[in-house]
Amino acid sequence: MDNMNIVLCGLGGQGILFMTRILAQTALGKGIPVMGAETHGMAQRGGSVVSHLRLGNVEGSLVRAGTADILLALEENEAYRTLPYLGRGGRLYANASPRVFPSPVVASYLEKHHMVCRCTDAGRTAMEHGRPMSSNLALVGFFSAFNEGPFTFADLRETVKQISPEQFMATNLKVFDACHEIAADKKR
Amino acid sequence: MKEEIFLGNEAVALGLLEGGCQVVTSYPGTPSSEILPGVIRLVKSDGLNTYTEWSTNEKVALDNAFAAAISGKRAACCMKQVGLNVAADSLMSAAYLGTIGGLVIISCDDPGPHSSQTEQDTRLMARLAKVPVLDPSGPKEARWMARLALDISEEFKVPVILRPAIRVCHARQNLSWKSLHSNETRASFEKDPTHWAATPRFRFLLHKELNRKLDAISRRFEEMEGINFHNLEPGKRYPLGIAAGGVPYAVVQDILKEEERTDIPVFKIGSPYPFPERLAEQFLYACEKVLVCEETDAVIEYFLRDREKVMGRLSGHVPAEGELVPHVIHRVIDGVLKSLGLPPLGRENAGEAEALMKQLELPVRRPTLCPGCPHRASFYAIRKAQPKAIFTSDIGCYTLGLNLGGVDTCLDMGAAITMASGFYHAYAQDGVEQPIVATIGDSTFFHSGTAGLLNAVYNEARFVLVILDNQITAMTGMQPTPALGTRADGSKGNAIPLEKVVAGCGVDFIEVVDPYDVKAMISVVKKAAQYTRDPSGGIAVIIARHPCVIAYRQYALPDRKKVVVTDDCVECNFCLERFECPALYHDDMIGRTAVDQALCIGCGVCLNVCPKDAIVEA
Repeated sequence: MDNMNIVLCGLGGQGILFMTRILAQTALGKGIPVMGAETHGMAQRGGSVVSHLRLGNVEGSLVRAGTADILLALEENEAYRTLPYLGRGGRLYANASPRVFPSPVVASYLEKHHMVCRCTDAGRTAMEHGRPMSSNLALVGFFSAFNEGPFTFADLRETVKQISPEQFMATNLKVFDACHEIAADKKR
Repeated sequence: MKEEIFLGNEAVALGLLEGGCQVVTSYPGTPSSEILPGVIRLVKSDGLNTYTEWSTNEKVALDNAFAAAISGKRAACCMKQVGLNVAADSLMSAAYLGTIGGLVIISCDDPGPHSSQTEQDTRLMARLAKVPVLDPSGPKEARWMARLALDISEEFKVPVILRPAIRVCHARQNLSWKSLHSNETRASFEKDPTHWAATPRFRFLLHKELNRKLDAISRRFEEMEGINFHNLEPGKRYPLGIAAGGVPYAVVQDILKEEERTDIPVFKIGSPYPFPERLAEQFLYACEKVLVCEETDAVIEYFLRDREKVMGRLSGHVPAEGELVPHVIHRVIDGVLKSLGLPPLGRENAGEAEALMKQLELPVRRPTLCPGCPHRASFYAIRKAQPKAIFTSDIGCYTLGLNLGGVDTCLDMGAAITMASGFYHAYAQDGVEQPIVATIGDSTFFHSGTAGLLNAVYNEARFVLVILDNQITAMTGMQPTPALGTRADGSKGNAIPLEKVVAGCGVDFIEVVDPYDVKAMISVVKKAAQYTRDPSGGIAVIIARHPCVIAYRQYALPDRKKVVVTDDCVECNFCLERFECPALYHDDMIGRTAVDQALCIGCGVCLNVCPKDAIVEA
């Protein structure tokens, strides 16, 4: 496999680190070396949080701007803010309503650089399942339908099962599955 | 053999324990805070005998580790880079005295800065103290260097600094590891007062001894593989070479690999001090120009003596401040290649996206206190009670009180108190009665509040001091404080109540209040202010005690309230500006302030805030 660069973003408290862990653990489970970078401390207090994940034989933990294969965004404005990371042909997965996202000017930028935008209202799906905090799981569930690199539905789901805290596991899986279904329906 | 994804700081912990470290002390501070918990996790899982503690400050941590080390044990202490300033007194002297068992000081740098007051460079502190420093480029190397630092320290009898930067500390990487074993070395301090309590005459001899040790270590580093190295081909000359250390080395490697630029040799500096002089000479000889990529300040660039050849932060080829993130290094290398008439790097399209983002005018996300944070209630009450005061503050989550207009100054740990007395005397000298309210967190107060408070009482300063007691060290990831009586590993220690410490500093006015009771807090602050003006008064201390809502969710919120905003809201924005709760926002659709129920945690403090009483319980 070629190296893969992933950037995950959102706001402090949205569970970006947990989402990163799901992806990292899944890749490692397939024997792929992982390297990542996280935000801690002052920057976590409600500010923009960006997490980097790199698969393959790399030395540095940060994704260079303009070279991300995948961008996973838990919030619309944060998706726009981290867009400079996305490389030509990259895929943007966002927790945003397809009715309003992306804005026309961004859409034309994406098109120009052969980037693909796939978005879903992950926050709403999470809310419907009684856990508004789980929009991260919802977005990963949505993402799992597109077989990006090593991230198959079955493997991602297995990781969610393994690393979710006991008391949230059932809901996490429910939210994950629901958003996977939404994406699968869309593809059909 | 086990394989796991380690945080860089946990990798450092692993390396320390693989090196048989028996004592680890620390004071939390981003980006270093996860090292000690990493040690404790492994100590518990593998049943090791390693002693761990959260010390009350960095100097205390280093002194404790030093004593263990001169008893023949292997010891480490961990802190953030500005913490090393606090421990500097100890460090400078320890360098001269040397050690018996391995002693490693881990000081984590914060280029950016992301979570610090300065971008200071620990490598310069190492040079100042004349102790060796190792500079890892990633978690895997940090693990190896932690162990190596213990070995080198013990062999040459000198403390060694390990300097991981934030992108090492908070990087994650998969590592394999085997079971760990306890080091059974027993404490055996051998008395030698002329050495361990040396007077200035003997210190001169110790300085000489230290210089000799550094020469020997320098030779060792030259012989060792994997610390300092370059990939020059013998006899070949190059128009450009890159010298790099730490995180920028990893970035440079990735860029050159991606761009397939085998024409540019790289010199990796893993021990910036003592500097690998022989390899540096070879590199300078073989390269027409040498670009230096290093964080945070210039160190390698100073040590590479040929000013004609060297390009870096000093020469203006590399930004003089800030983190060298990959796209910055990419631009720097590309610019240097172009200026030398060499083939440039591949095109980088990030610039276009950045311009687009500027055009979108995205909302600025400043860090803010959490919904329900008791500090917000305190700051609101303080400003209500003492609107004209100078607000000196300190380092912790509560520095964010500046969003509420409750923080005017933030200098260093403990400065809320020392600056309050400083302001008092500056105004009192002119006969002016300037109200002053200082705010300091519980952990910061234990760290370095007492010396300043003793001084202020002794010298008859007058101000109100509010100790924001959320019963935890919150900003750095919820470490316990001495008042809690819980130790680093979760075992029970002795709890030291803040009230007793404050009384011990000679303060007569001490009131404890729950800031969630905003009215009570306002009246206590007014009473305290009155006491500072009273002829027989003095310094008034208020302990604003309410548990952190993140650390103690249930216990901090026994009585949750559902809060809504009614049509009485006149959009004066008083609550948004003066209370600044993330759960309160202006809803453009309905044309007034509203409560974001997903963010609101139901503390109900905002019920006291609206001038029109439009914030009500549903």
